Amino acid sequence: MLQVLIQGLLLSGLYSLIAVGFTLIFSVGRVLNLAYGAYLMMGAYCYFYVTQTLGIPKPIGFVLAASVGAMAGVLKYRFLVKPLKGDHVAVEISTLILAVVIQAGIVFIFNDSAKVLHPIVPGVIWVGGAAVTYNMVAATLASWAILVLLYLFVRRTHTGRAMQAVSMDAKGAALSGIDPDKVNMITWVISGILGAAAGVFFASYTQVNPSMWVAPLIIAVAVVIVGGIGSILGTLVVAHIIGFMEVISTTFIAAELRGVFTMLLIIVVLVMMPKGLFGREEL
Amino acid sequence: MAADIKTRHVLLWAIFIGGMCLLPFVTTPGTLRTIIFANYLAIFAMSWDFLTGRTGYVSFGHPFLIGIGAYASAILSYRYGVPVAISIPLAVIITMIGGTLFFLPALRIRGSYFALVTLAFMELMYQLVQVIRPDITGGTRGMSGIQTITSGAFNNFYLSFALMAVIAVILWTLTRTRLGTALSAIGMNEESVRGSGLDTTKLKLFAFMVSACVAGIGGAFYVHYLGSIAPRNLFDINFLFTIIVAALIGGASTVVGPMAGAFFLTFLLEYLRPWLPGSERYFVYGAIALVLYMYQPKGLYQIIVDSLGIGKSRNKQEAAGDSAA
Repeated sequence: MLQVLIQGLLLSGLYSLIAVGFTLIFSVGRVLNLAYGAYLMMGAYCYFYVTQTLGIPKPIGFVLAASVGAMAGVLKYRFLVKPLKGDHVAVEISTLILAVVIQAGIVFIFNDSAKVLHPIVPGVIWVGGAAVTYNMVAATLASWAILVLLYLFVRRTHTGRAMQAVSMDAKGAALSGIDPDKVNMITWVISGILGAAAGVFFASYTQVNPSMWVAPLIIAVAVVIVGGIGSILGTLVVAHIIGFMEVISTTFIAAELRGVFTMLLIIVVLVMMPKGLFGREEL
Repeated sequence: MAADIKTRHVLLWAIFIGGMCLLPFVTTPGTLRTIIFANYLAIFAMSWDFLTGRTGYVSFGHPFLIGIGAYASAILSYRYGVPVAISIPLAVIITMIGGTLFFLPALRIRGSYFALVTLAFMELMYQLVQVIRPDITGGTRGMSGIQTITSGAFNNFYLSFALMAVIAVILWTLTRTRLGTALSAIGMNEESVRGSGLDTTKLKLFAFMVSACVAGIGGAFYVHYLGSIAPRNLFDINFLFTIIVAALIGGASTVVGPMAGAFFLTFLLEYLRPWLPGSERYFVYGAIALVLYMYQPKGLYQIIVDSLGIGKSRNKQEAAGDSAA
């Protein structure tokens, strides 16, 4: 029982971090960025290359990974999302194509094989008969810290409030002197950084390979859909629902079925209550 | 419901079909195999487009439908020894039942959310196939040694081409009827279609059923062409990507577009093979698709129509831009 609790908390922490960047774009830009998983992949590969191939210290690798994510966010917003002018379906299709292009690009540079990332923080602690890696604990703690910082940023700073305003009503925000274009750009940058950071942790939890972007994307989609809201707190709650559901189904039913319940949750929630568990007007 | 078909159209179709029938006599078996793949991809792309291009319900889960058709026929013939002549029609019916499942979310949601539900359907199926009764589905490794219908590039070319041509002509005829017009109208504005006294639920169901039927036929025949099946080849985002890109690059909401797109992309991939042997090819492929999509979301079809000045140049500025480029 204790084991399930700990594993659930750790996994949920990681999932919150994965989902929050996706939620941010969804709530401010009102578009689903299906290339979000590619941020994670790019972050992970950048970190892998810098720390394990070049042998540069980990913190620098982390910063570089984050800056790759930020740059990807800027480019994506500038050349893809903005020209499509908020045509949701077109953005989804083009970001999906982009994700596959990035995947192919990664194969081109790093080849097809999976790579193992050394743990960011090595070491294992035994709790209640289960091994808990320090790496996972670090990932969870980092994700909590990042989420708290993000929450404070969105609530307390001027820029964060502008983001909230644009997410509520872009026209209204523009009328009160906020430049929605600039706010959108900032949101894409933050989302890229969060994605890349989540990617490094996610990769240290699993491994680095060219199709690693699909699983986190689906987790992020599930969180956003089931939550139905674009708020950071909602993301946290739903990430825990999904994280615990996976751990419980792995422990008590079968490890192969862990993803099945997430999919079923997406389908059931969307069909039964299209506005999500916590409600929000449809796009 | 008389279809709006002119002699010119019949003539063009006849030239196209006649020309394709002569192809095996002038090309090598290697090229023929590429064309066979293009034919199947064209079927999948047309199926996707009949749903998405017309009604505007973006399906990210078409591999789900194709996979049901493929798996149903493969399991029936491989595990239970059902003759192919019976297993394929049964597989198509099963796919259409699966299509009904697909249809349920469309009653309540549309746009981004619908696309995501269909994506979830695909991933769900991918995981279920491996877990539930692996003794029947073959689990992660799938099945091989499935009975093939004919052998040799020559026969398979005619089989796949006949399938594609029949499906294309039927779908094309459908779009020329009032029914097709109503379906396209749903894509433009569903509320006003309902306001004009048409039952949109029935119309949508029809589009879903046609799309599922075509996907089932394509999937079932495809698996009996390949002779093997594996979950990761079917229920995969890359496969979905290939289908969508073929339809979009050729021109969504036309019948000729997805067909042309499928051929264009299959040959592009084939010609890239000497330089880029692995999945890096998708980099070039995807990049071309992305640039084309950003430049003209309606695809090559629209670009050609604009530059030829057919269709009374609906958008004069774009036509001017095209001829300048």
